[in-house]
Amino acid sequence: MDLADALDRAPTGERPRFDLAAGALVGGRCADCGATAWPARAVCHRCGGADVRLGTFARAGTLVSCTLVMVPRPGLEAPYMLGQVRLDDGPVVFGQIIGLDDAEAVPCPVTVQVSADRYWFTPAGLQEPTGERQDETRVSSDETGG
Amino acid sequence: MAEDVVVAGVGMHPFGRHSGRSLKDLARVAGLRALLDAGIGPQGVQMVYSSNAMAGMLQGQEMVRGQTVLREIGIEGVPVVNVENACAGGSTAFAQAVMAIRSGAADVVLAIGFEKMFVADRSRTLDALESAADLDVVAGLGIQFTAVYGMRLRARLADGSIARQDLADVAVKSHANGVRNPYAQHRVQVTAAQVLESRAIADPLTLLMCSSICDGAAAVVLARGGALPQPGRPTVRVLASASTSGFTLDPAGGPSGATLCAQRAYEQAGAGPGDVDVAEVHDAMAPAELLYAEQLGFCPPGDGARFFRSGATALDGRLPINPSGGLASRGHPVGATGLAQLAELTWQLRGEAGERQVHRPRIALAQNSGGWLEGESAAVNVHLLERTQRWT
Ligand SMILES: [Zn+2]
Repeated sequence: MDLADALDRAPTGERPRFDLAAGALVGGRCADCGATAWPARAVCHRCGGADVRLGTFARAGTLVSCTLVMVPRPGLEAPYMLGQVRLDDGPVVFGQIIGLDDAEAVPCPVTVQVSADRYWFTPAGLQEPTGERQDETRVSSDETGG
Repeated sequence: MAEDVVVAGVGMHPFGRHSGRSLKDLARVAGLRALLDAGIGPQGVQMVYSSNAMAGMLQGQEMVRGQTVLREIGIEGVPVVNVENACAGGSTAFAQAVMAIRSGAADVVLAIGFEKMFVADRSRTLDALESAADLDVVAGLGIQFTAVYGMRLRARLADGSIARQDLADVAVKSHANGVRNPYAQHRVQVTAAQVLESRAIADPLTLLMCSSICDGAAAVVLARGGALPQPGRPTVRVLASASTSGFTLDPAGGPSGATLCAQRAYEQAGAGPGDVDVAEVHDAMAPAELLYAEQLGFCPPGDGARFFRSGATALDGRLPINPSGGLASRGHPVGATGLAQLAELTWQLRGEAGERQVHRPRIALAQNSGGWLEGESAAVNVHLLERTQRWT
């Protein structure tokens, strides 16, 4: 695959980020070197190749570290928990952690949860949550200067 | 090194809350002090790199920020390049000035940074800070810089290599240095108990460990060696200048941007971390100093807390870190911070740092990081400065 193929990649706003059926994140995986990124990019960050294919990542990952944030942000009541997660077959991603009572247990296994426009993580084995998420904040592509 | 570049003059406007002062006022004081220190007037400046991060969102001056403040001090009709690299903008302007002189494009270049973060609505300042990340990816997650550092430190508390007491003790040291710095925002001595009892921000960080909203400006005049002779004053030259942008984290791990820049800088200088006598590091949260001591090679990985406990990084230690009080105490007006670090190190190398002077430093290191790309800083610059004359 040629670098020029990246010229025709779907606009970022049209690339899927979530697989609702699988309940997992969809990102890019380089067919040449295997590097992953979420969300998918047009060109591989590791080898510079353009054969980046969309793929569904594992739901399972490891919560590497987390923090309980005490300062609210628009659409987010404090406290809320943020964490760094290494997906089992994917990239390192950051997101909200819901339902983790014992932060001292970190590192620990977690499971990704997705809805139409967002994702979060719950401790592995915890009962599937019913979407008790608080935030609805999301910027349009216009606001990001894209 | 192809060509010597020297720091000919430095200047700052005190950091803090300056409600009655505009960006022009802040930049005027820092800029004029740097010119006076270099012994030149505005017409001696051949080129300018101007750093500001937030005036677009906070003051509405989205464009030509440098030109608008520079004409207040008589600098116009020269190339002005506006630089934005989040919290690393100041050192980016400095790095560009070094390159301009090395390239032969100019002999005397001003690098200036200015920021005014206190505005009527504090949430706008937080919004502007949040934009130091890829909003297309992280908007709405509630990522704040305090949370980023909180996550980095939590992992180290979990593995036992850093204790909560260390986090507090570093903040105590920062404040103790800030007390001695007339340019510092927070000039109040605190105790470890006060630090730990202050308001929780993002576990394990508390209020007194964190840099806060700040106004200020800093400026540096750089010159080709010999272009601005200053007889009778020690010469400070630029030994190394290394920069990188952020990169996607490798799930298997790997060196940080700060480590990569430091390695390149040591290589350029033909020196190593053991040669550094004083350092200013990017402690947007005071305990980050422990992490950067490791990443810059001052101590082995995992030993940051032990290194700190040994007293090595105190003002009278063998490698004082953040004698200015660092970002946490001196203050962190985003676009000015990198240049404030370099101004501080210049004063230290000349022996002009007053009550916070460290013992006869010869080589100084500045590390300035900005923004966040899901794990790694979006921009990092490491500079090494050297005093060329012996101490007598
Ligand atoms: Zn690749």
